[in-house]
Order: sequence, then structure tokens, then C-alpha cells
Amino acid sequence: MQGKNSIVIRLVLVITLSSIVIFAVTLGYNYYQSRVILQNELESNARNLAMSLVNRVEIQLTGVTKVTKGLAHYVETDKQTEQKLLSWIRTTVENNPEIYGAFVAFEPYAFSAKSRLYAPYYYREKGKIVFEGLENSYIDYPYPYWDWYQIPRELGKLEWSEPYFDEGAGNILMSTCSLPFYKEVNGKKQLQGVVGADVSLDALTEYISSVKILRTGYAALLTRNGTILAHPLKDAIMNDSFFSIAEERQEPFLRELGKKMVRGETGFVHYKSLVGFTSWMYYTPIPSTGWALAVLFPEAELLEDVRKLSMTMAAMGFVGILLLTLAVIYIAKAIIKPLQLLAAATDEIASGNFDVALPMVRSNDEVGGLTHDFQAMQASLKEYIKNLTETTAAKERIQSELKVATNIQASLLPRIFPPFPDHPEFDIYASMVPAKEVGGDFYDFFFIDEKNLCFLIADVSDKGVPAALYMMVAKTLLKTEGQRLGEPDKMLSSVNRILATDNESCMFTTVFCAILDITTGDVRFANAGHNPPLIIDSLGVRYLTPKPGLMLGAMSETVFLTERFALEQEGTLFLYTDGVTEAKNPEDMLYGEERLLKALQIAPQEDLAKMIHYISSEVSYHANGAPQSDDITMLAIKISKKRSA
Amino acid sequence: MDLQTRIENNAIVVSISGRLDAVTAPEYEKSIRELIESGHIHIVVDFEQLDYISSAGLRGLLLMAKLLNAKGGRACLANVKGNVQSVFDMCGFNAVFKMGNSVAEALTMLI
Repeated sequence: MQGKNSIVIRLVLVITLSSIVIFAVTLGYNYYQSRVILQNELESNARNLAMSLVNRVEIQLTGVTKVTKGLAHYVETDKQTEQKLLSWIRTTVENNPEIYGAFVAFEPYAFSAKSRLYAPYYYREKGKIVFEGLENSYIDYPYPYWDWYQIPRELGKLEWSEPYFDEGAGNILMSTCSLPFYKEVNGKKQLQGVVGADVSLDALTEYISSVKILRTGYAALLTRNGTILAHPLKDAIMNDSFFSIAEERQEPFLRELGKKMVRGETGFVHYKSLVGFTSWMYYTPIPSTGWALAVLFPEAELLEDVRKLSMTMAAMGFVGILLLTLAVIYIAKAIIKPLQLLAAATDEIASGNFDVALPMVRSNDEVGGLTHDFQAMQASLKEYIKNLTETTAAKERIQSELKVATNIQASLLPRIFPPFPDHPEFDIYASMVPAKEVGGDFYDFFFIDEKNLCFLIADVSDKGVPAALYMMVAKTLLKTEGQRLGEPDKMLSSVNRILATDNESCMFTTVFCAILDITTGDVRFANAGHNPPLIIDSLGVRYLTPKPGLMLGAMSETVFLTERFALEQEGTLFLYTDGVTEAKNPEDMLYGEERLLKALQIAPQEDLAKMIHYISSEVSYHANGAPQSDDITMLAIKISKKRSA
Repeated sequence: MDLQTRIENNAIVVSISGRLDAVTAPEYEKSIRELIESGHIHIVVDFEQLDYISSAGLRGLLLMAKLLNAKGGRACLANVKGNVQSVFDMCGFNAVFKMGNSVAEALTMLI
């Protein structure tokens, strides 16, 4: 189950996270790029807007400038009477509705030598045109000391005054355009006074203030000193300057910006507006007055569309990724499901149930292939287990049969000692230790007649079941032929003939066969390729040297010879097979005839069983744990001192 | 056991080394059977390098003699000595096989 979860989760995580990253990067780039494009467009839009506003202001101001210049020209060129001058000023005010008032202010004694100051002024009041003599208006502080007179007089050029509230004229925001005028005296220009026109700025500032950019964006106007002339913050108008606000809010950036604006520079900046929202601002001067005009675009509103688009895209992306995740989960589960079924089935197989049905192969994909392979594996496993069960059963059967065979073989060899308790003339003892379950060695002894005891030892080539079968045949033949013929050479020749006939497998057996006359101790013997036995008597221990003879079963026409020797009283004849002399130790060293000879010299001689057990233990001591490769068989026969007859 | 064959004077010389016992005899029998079946019926077995022969090895040699008799062929043994010699003496193999003191001598005995 854990495997299933982890595959699904991994797929979902990898695919979903990758999609989210790709989508987020795309969306972010799109947003950023849109902003950049918008900003570039914004700058030109802002410039165009600002320029058109500047134009509007300039048109109005230029009209006033023209009127002022016309008035100056009139005063300079016409040698006028007071009557004519007054009527001209009045007409000028009348004909130019944009003008609030107009005046001609003379230098001291310039108009007439009689009066020091003379400054007629016509202005509108409640729809009527009213006259005022400015020389009388300012008693403590005569007009030649006022800025609107002083500045153009000193500079000698047209000058717009800082806007101001004219309290005497009905509290309107005004600015005065003043221009000095001259008289030619002896070819030299001589200052005569200053003409001027007042213009109400209410309309202008109202117009600027009414400009709406998007929803909360606005336009603003600053004077040359930075005083706020038009702004949505009504309270600030004429009360605050850009610098005082900067000071109050402790924003050095604002001060720097204000300086640039007042200096008459043009620029485009991103900043937090006085109203308090982040915005883009374009500022540029109004050339004739030196005021600064600014237009503000609130960023949030500018980017609103982009933001909305981005939000929509994000929502769509979210839904898309959700759908994608669901699709991935569906596919992953679809892939996992057959795997899960297969895993459950293989669990069953692993626990030993080979008959469990594997899920049907429905697809040609990898899972289908896997299921198919598992089916094949299941079938061959089943077959293999079946075979294994059968072979194991067969093997067990063979094992048990071999055990039976071993028992049968053992029961064939005389095992009860002493075998002839009523014959004290001799002792006989023998043992056979098979290398495999059934051996190829055997021994036998039996009476041919009352005084002749036949004893023999034999070694069938090869071991195991075939050797055991061959051994049974050989043993039976030797006994029957021995009892029938009574002489060793005849026995061997006869048995050899029978064995050699149709001996396809070329099996053979070596035999040492002897007949002891228990009354005399005479031994007649014949050897068919067997190891020479040892004699243990008063002369010591020595090997008998029989004439060589071919093994039984090898060649049908083999001739055997009977030899004789007399076994003295207390003499022992020791017969053995090559399992004794060819017993190997772990270094592959054979036990050998030398060692056997020496062992017999010190072996117990009285009791044959002890003698044989001693040799047996010597051989296993020599083998030192090395596996026994051949049957170990020994037979000893001894003439007793006391003979019955 | 290691078994090598070479052809010399129209006969095949089989050199065996190591041990010829119950473990290696089947291999020897198989090789000899193949040689005889492929028509090599004059064989010299060189015992120069042989250390040990067991009754199973003797059986292999007898089998070879039997197979060759059936085909009208013949085998001679060369360089039989030491332990192997005494086993051969004991079991009367001298009556079954002709033996040469060298491969060359054994080859002459084949004729």
C-alpha cells in the first residue's frame, strides 16, 4: 500500500509542482512585461496630457499678455490726454472679458509735473466696470513699492506676479501681468511707468482641478515658489507650498522633486503623491509664467486591468492545475490498480499458493507485460515444484530402498561371532564397513566338509547398487561352487567362467579364497587379483606372496593355481581389501601396506576381534576425518592351540 | 585425471595423468569409447604420469580391451611402474595387456 501511495504522490507532486512553477513564472513574466509596456505608453500619454493642459493655460495667459502689450504700446505711442487714457483703459477691460482689471501706473511726475503719482485702474465689480485711482489706494505704502510695479520696472520686461488673493476686489485668486513702458528722449529710452492687467485664476485653477485622470488621478499647478495653485487638496491651495509639505512630512525626496519642478525641469517619476497613493507623475513648466504643471496617474488604477487579467489567469491556472492533478491521480491509480492486484497475487504465490489466479492481462503496456511474465513464472514455478516434489519422493524412496538393500547385504554376510561355537580348533572374525550405503566388498566362510573350512574375501570393482548386485551374484556362486568343487583353483575358474560370460559392463571382483584343513592347519589358497594377505606366526608378521591371478569376471579363460602353506599353531592369517591400504588422509596419503604390517606387529594377537578393531581404529586415525572412499573389510582366522582331534 | 591423445604411427597414444579411480574412470571410459567408435582401434595407453589406479580404473582398462577385441583392435600399455605396476602384478593384468617400457616400444608391440 505504501508503494502505491508513494507512486501516486510522487507523480502528483512532480507534475503539479512543475506545472505550478511553469505557470507562476509565465504569469509573473506576463505581469511584469505588461507593466513595462504600460509604463512606456503612460509616459507618452502623460506628456501629451500635460502638454495639452499647458497649452490651455498658455492660451489664456497669452491673451492677457497681448492685452498688456497692447496697452503698453498705446501708452508709448499716443500722446494722450487723461480723458483719452482713461477711456482706453476702460475699453480694454470692457472688450476683454478674461481680464479682471487693467491699470497704467506712472513713474513719479511722469504723467504730469503737477501730481507726483498717477495710476488709473479699471476693474470689474458685480458686472460693472469701476474706476479707482491707485495713487490713493495705498496710503502707507505707495504703489511704486509693490512687487507688481517694482519687479517689471527693475527687470525691464513682462512679468507675471505670484498669484495672490485680492481682498479688495472680492477675494479672488489673481495674478497680474505687468510690463514697463518707455518714452524716447533724445534717442534714449526713458522709463515712464508700468502697465498691467489682472487676471482671475479661479477659472484656470478650476479647470486644472477638474481634470480627472482615471478615477482618482489629478492635475496640479505650482507657482514659481512652489506654492500650490491647483490641487485636489482644496485646503492646501495658496496655503501650502510643495516645500512646506515636504518639510512637514519629512520627505527629502519631495523637496528635491519640488526643486526640480520650480527650476522649470520636465520629468517623469514614480512616487507617493501628496494625496497618499503611489502614482506616476509627469511634470513640466508653463513657459510664460514659470509655474509647474503636474499630472498624476494612480498606479493601482493603471494596473487594475493588468491585475484583473492576471487574477483571471491565475484563477484559470489554478482550476487547470486542479484538473491536471485530478487527471494525474486518475492515471496513476489506473496504472497502480493492476500492479496492486498483481502484487496481491504474487504475495499469495510467495506464501506458497501457486494456484492463485493472476489478474487478466487487459493491456499491452508494461504492466500487461509484467503480468504475462508473472503468469509464465507461476506456471514454471508450479511445474518446478511439482517435479521437485516428485524427485524428492523418488529420492526418498531410493534412500529407503538403499537402506533396505544395506540391511539385506549385511544380513548376507555372516555376522554372528563365534560362528562355529562347537569348533574350538580355530577362531575367526571379520568386519565390513561400507563406504556408501551398499558396498562392493564381501567376505564369507563355510564348511565344505567336516574338516575343510573355506574362507574368502572379495572386492567388487565399483561401489553402490551395481556393485552390491554383482557382489550377491559372486557371493552366491562362490559358496555353491565352493561346496560343489572343494578346491580353490576350481572354484575360482568355475565362478570366473560364469561371471565373464555376457559381462557387458566389465564388472569384476578380486577374490582371495582359501580352504583350511582344521585338523592339520594346511591351507590351500588361490588368488584372483586380490591384495596379498598377511601371516602372523612365530616368525613374525609378513605378507604372503601368492602368484598373480586375474580378477574374476575379466577374462573367461583365466587359469588359477592352488598354492599351499601350513599355518602353525597360534598362527593367524589376516585378509583385507584395498579399502584398508588405500584409506586416504586429508593430504591424500594412502595408509599403505607398510603401515598395515607395522600395525599388525603391535596389534593385540590373542583376540581376533580386538585385532581387527585395532586396525580399524588405526585406519580411521590415519584418515583423520577424510571421507571413506572405499569399503573397509577385514577377516582374520587363527588356529587354536587346543585341537579337538 | 588429465587425458591427452595424439596420433603416432597410425596408432593413437593416450596419455593419462593423475588418478584413475571411481571418480575419474567414467570419464576415461567415455573418452576411450568415443575413440574406438571413431575408428581408432590401435591404442597405446601411456602411464608415465599416472599416480594411482583403483579397481574402477582397472575396469576401464578391461572395458577398453573388450571393446577392442570386438572390433579386432588391440591396446598396449606403456611406462607402467611403481604403485600402478604392483596393482597390475597383483591382479594379473600382465596376462591381459602387453606392456612396453616406453611409448615407442609399446607402438611396436601393436603390430
